[in-house]
Amino acid sequence: MAREEFEIEVDRQGNVTIRTIGIKGPACVDAAENLARIIGRQESSQLTPEYYENSVDQNSHVDIRHNH
Amino acid sequence: MSTVLVVTPILIAHWPVMAAAISAAVGACGFTLVQEAVAVTANQSQGESTGTTREVIEVEESEIMGSTAGTGETMVVERDGVRATFSRDPRGGLRICMEGKGVSKSHLRALGEELLGRVTQQYAYHRIMTELKSRNMTVVGEEMTEQQSVKIRVRNW
Repeated sequence: MAREEFEIEVDRQGNVTIRTIGIKGPACVDAAENLARIIGRQESSQLTPEYYENSVDQNSHVDIRHNH
Repeated sequence: MSTVLVVTPILIAHWPVMAAAISAAVGACGFTLVQEAVAVTANQSQGESTGTTREVIEVEESEIMGSTAGTGETMVVERDGVRATFSRDPRGGLRICMEGKGVSKSHLRALGEELLGRVTQQYAYHRIMTELKSRNMTVVGEEMTEQQSVKIRVRNW
């Protein structure tokens, strides 16, 4: 099994923020989304530079907003 | 870190799970449990005739599963003369009826939304912990922040 580490914050309104730690490449998104799916509706996601370490050589941030 | 997701919880649970989340949440807002579904119905009728203000919050993204004719599926909490009644509405979602004398509807709504936030926080916390346990993940840190957020750190090794 791949090593996974998460930091999860639940604020006083119930909103949940999931951060992956040390999971590189697209696997980090899969791991976080699997957890997010059982909680509710994903509002936004942000990829940090670590995401690109094992995939595309790029250092920009990507913001994705989902409107429902 | 490599990705950050923000998730809005959807409350889907059987009533006992919802009731547990409500019980855990109300204390944090200074409310106390009053209970009794039958007594509530009587008080609600009385309130209508004595000018009590009422504000109802129907939680859109919620589903209380496996209901059997609504028996016992009501919880009542109070704080400073304001009463909040949690119940399952006809569509099967969570409903919060806020009532109080001498308070505005906007104040009742604000209190109701504060309560709902705390209930959602408790629901999400327990949903997450149950899922993490099923994945055999280890909680390596847990804290309550100054902003009343719960922060959990977990890993699978």
